[in-house]
Amino acid sequence: MNFAGKRPLRWGAALSALVLLAAACGGDDESDVPAATAAPVADGAQAQDGLTGSIEVSGSSTVEPITALVAEKFNGAHPGVGISVEGPGTGDGFQRFCAGETDVSDASRAIKDSEAEACAQAGVEWVELKVAFDGVSVLTSLDNDAVSCLDTGDLYALVGAESEGFQSWSDANGLAAELAAAGLGGSGAPYPDAPLVITAPGEESGTFDAFVELALDDITEARGQDEPTRVDYQASANDNVIVDNVSSNPTSFGWVGFAFYLANSSILKAIEVDGGDGCVAPSIESIADGSYPLSRPLFIYVSLSRLTENPALGPFVDFYLGDGLSSVAEAGYVTLPDQEIAAAKAAWGGVG
Amino acid sequence: MTAPTVGSRVTPQMLRRALEGRRVNVVNPLVAMTLLISLLASLAILVVLLWDVVAKSMPVWQERGWSVITNDLSPRPAETGMIQGIFGSVMLTVIVVVLSFPLGVAAAIYLEEYARDTRLTRLLVANIRNLAGVPSIVYGLLGLSVFVKLILEGLVGQVSGRTLIAGGLTLSMLVLSIMVITTQEALRAVPLAIREASFGVGATSWQTIRHHVLPVAGPAIFTGSVLALARAFGESAPLLLAGAVLSTFFAAPEGTPLTELVVGQKYTALPIIIYNWSRQPQQEYVALTAAAIVALLVILLVVNAGTILARDALERRNRM
Repeated sequence: MNFAGKRPLRWGAALSALVLLAAACGGDDESDVPAATAAPVADGAQAQDGLTGSIEVSGSSTVEPITALVAEKFNGAHPGVGISVEGPGTGDGFQRFCAGETDVSDASRAIKDSEAEACAQAGVEWVELKVAFDGVSVLTSLDNDAVSCLDTGDLYALVGAESEGFQSWSDANGLAAELAAAGLGGSGAPYPDAPLVITAPGEESGTFDAFVELALDDITEARGQDEPTRVDYQASANDNVIVDNVSSNPTSFGWVGFAFYLANSSILKAIEVDGGDGCVAPSIESIADGSYPLSRPLFIYVSLSRLTENPALGPFVDFYLGDGLSSVAEAGYVTLPDQEIAAAKAAWGGVG
Repeated sequence: MTAPTVGSRVTPQMLRRALEGRRVNVVNPLVAMTLLISLLASLAILVVLLWDVVAKSMPVWQERGWSVITNDLSPRPAETGMIQGIFGSVMLTVIVVVLSFPLGVAAAIYLEEYARDTRLTRLLVANIRNLAGVPSIVYGLLGLSVFVKLILEGLVGQVSGRTLIAGGLTLSMLVLSIMVITTQEALRAVPLAIREASFGVGATSWQTIRHHVLPVAGPAIFTGSVLALARAFGESAPLLLAGAVLSTFFAAPEGTPLTELVVGQKYTALPIIIYNWSRQPQQEYVALTAAAIVALLVILLVVNAGTILARDALERRNRM
């Protein structure tokens, strides 16, 4: 019977070994975390300056790529500051922002009255800073002379939920007439009798979302449809494929982010868009002054209540409006014109 | 040439035919075939899954090498890495082991060996079984409202309770009921005769459990626990609610000590990174997502294989 006493001890030993092993693995990884954090830095010349704290950003998934790039550069310059950038959506972001949980809220639209009220009730004061523009360019081939301007009704007739199965531009004539009768646009009809070859971003893309929100959503809702677009078009996550297909087919149709069109404007034709005030071609000027219908400003909202408690927040916003704004183009958005940057800096200077 | 003997004229086949009549047994091979096909089907799914992710992730391993494992998260897909997620997942698992293993085993021993079969006990057992079937997202809600909001932000007074410890506590709750059930089953499988023999020579309940029941049930408890841990390792839904960072970039302040990383800083986990990468629009993230899945599977396989080896070694020693 002398074997009896030893067994449980072995089991105990095995388990503690497992725990220790896991703890040891954890320990190894831990040493990597802060070391690797400082890796990709734009201006790594600045040594650690003793700035510490942590910054929490939430809000629009459209703005997230810009803020994430800014945050990475800022963290490179000030490794003592921890930052997290999340993108659950503008509305969710404001909910947490107004509950005092976040320092900065990314937004692809201005704050709503109801959200501002929630902030006021919770005693959260804020400042709104415009940081970039998001614009969508509607494209066709340079050889397509028949189409030069479309309104949102036309866009809905060509790629909206009810356009499924339209093989030719002229197939959309009936739908456009129906929309025109309901006062929803469609002034570009009749369309040419030519094959309608669509290549555009798929629904996982931010540009797809922007196009749907800015061009189609209102009409989709008015028509009582559920799908954001037709599904029978060639979707590509690769902007270069879209540019290739649109430029190589004379009666093509597609859309990309404005910044990407700008880089390829010599081989593509951007269709002018009529938002009710006449045809407007996409350009930095028309996007900046808001006259181009398929564009929107992007904002960050900074919590003034957190500004006093969090010593890292002020420098972060300073950095955002300075070197940080180079991230706007890097993320594929339209950079603010100089006077808009000055306006944002002035708004920030007034409070920060 | 050997002369045929009388007996060799009756072959086994002849004998069988005589015994079974002329019937050919159809059912038996059919059942065996069906079972084999079922087995192959589930194996085929596994192979297809593995082949798919490994093939898709190949470009990443070729271009990036180990840096995709060892880099921090970055908004630039060409520089991003998953070390923060691996760190988070490993630490979460450690917290789950430390908390739910002793609790779960102790609760199971009480229920199986000590508790009388009263209505209350039966109610408790039924409750635990139901808890094991609760969808994991519900545990996430519990984690958010109890651990993050009530305890860490409320009672402890932290600015943000979205820390590793909150996530670890949430996953521990999720795993605890599974741990109790598997341990109960393991204890139940120990032959009653072993307990009776021990009681027969005058051992107390605890002596019986400690020296005779647990050593026999040990390997099964071990296996069950590892399966439960693997479940915790791969969970993403409860962590999303309980505050893991869902982002292409986040960083803790440089030089933060380990304890502070666990109790005071935000965190992410490998399944969260897989989910986040899979919804990014850039083309590069297709391969990155596959690479993260491969990393998750490899870690799970290594841990499982390690446990099986450890268990077998222990079993062999116990048999001495």
